Amino acid sequence: MAERFAVLPCNGLDKAVGPLAREIALAVVEACEGELVCPVLFNNLPARYAKALELPLIVIDGCGTRCASKLAAEHALKVVRKLQVAEALKEMGESAGETLTPDPERLALCQRLAERLLSAPEEGTTRDREAAFTEPVEYATVTRDKFIFRIPRQGYLFNENHCWVRVAGGRARVGLSDYMQQELGDLTYCELPQVGAEIGQFDAVGSVESVKAVSDIISPVSGPVVAVNPAVAETPEIINQDPYVRGWVAELELRDLESDRALLLDGEAYLTLVRQKAADYRP
Amino acid sequence: MAESVNGKVLVIPCSGVGKVHGLMAREATYRVIDELEPGASTTLCLALLVKGDEEAVEAVRTRPCITIDGCPKLCSYKNVQLAGGKIAESVRVVDAFKDHKGAKPGTATELAEEGWTITDEIGQQIAARVRELCGGEEQ
Repeated sequence: MAERFAVLPCNGLDKAVGPLAREIALAVVEACEGELVCPVLFNNLPARYAKALELPLIVIDGCGTRCASKLAAEHALKVVRKLQVAEALKEMGESAGETLTPDPERLALCQRLAERLLSAPEEGTTRDREAAFTEPVEYATVTRDKFIFRIPRQGYLFNENHCWVRVAGGRARVGLSDYMQQELGDLTYCELPQVGAEIGQFDAVGSVESVKAVSDIISPVSGPVVAVNPAVAETPEIINQDPYVRGWVAELELRDLESDRALLLDGEAYLTLVRQKAADYRP
Repeated sequence: MAESVNGKVLVIPCSGVGKVHGLMAREATYRVIDELEPGASTTLCLALLVKGDEEAVEAVRTRPCITIDGCPKLCSYKNVQLAGGKIAESVRVVDAFKDHKGAKPGTATELAEEGWTITDEIGQQIAARVRELCGGEEQ
């Protein structure tokens, strides 16, 4: 028999994708003899599902509102697999149809998606994550006098505090941008957060000190700290040398990336910001 | 929400995932809004309300609501009430079984014939209430 899972679907009622989320959830539970978590009852009486949620959790959202994901995040549930039906259908070149009652064709699609969920690798195995976090980065550059600021073209998001986040398998690494490390100059000290600390978006997730200034590292995302990079505490200049890969500061388990993302800049938008900053840059 | 709630009665079933009574609440809702009173009723996703979606909260506060709950935990009734909704009628699927003692409604994934019969009765009951709330006019 397949590994058993708890499955938390969205309510799935009033849009065509909603009933599909429910059908997929039922198919997964049936196939793995898992436990179904009723989202509204869970919201009202979480203790009711304490036993069921000892199983690894799959979250299934119908639409982009992502009610089930939000619920899981609010209750700090660890999600091992996720499906957003509207996105999955788009990737498959399929549609949810027009009605709230799925036709046989849509039910077959649900079955396929359920099978795909059950056979998917767990989100973010350690080896996959490490590989994703250390993939080579292609940079855009902004030049100002003798200074060259690098900005990753893809795979990174930024806040306006010049801190970056790189996401892989339900986790994220955060650090300082190249612009920030050059503005600070040679770093002499890096304070890391405690593993287990709960970090909100835009909370300090550590600090750095240079010959010029002390600065907080403002986290672009929310979640608990699951790992820190001792190398940068021991040798802070790693951040000066390689801010985007070896110079990561902390690794967080993502709570609600979709919400966090709304307040972040992609590489292109951050490039524009750095261009503006570089125009006024006074080292 | 499925469509604009303007002028329509909101029929709101519990989430009802994983239990046959919940499935009956959902199917009875679909019967009303799709077949029996499509012009006078619509539905609303209870999870949206629970998560505080402003549009959903506004809808339950301004339109008459009929809640349908599968089990006695009354998730729909309680959450609509908590959101300040105008509950015109609260329907419990389990009550419908009083007239169908020993009925085998089916499973959480599929209704049996007796389940559909009871679901249809609940749908008719709700549709009648929808008509009353709309001033007794046939829609």
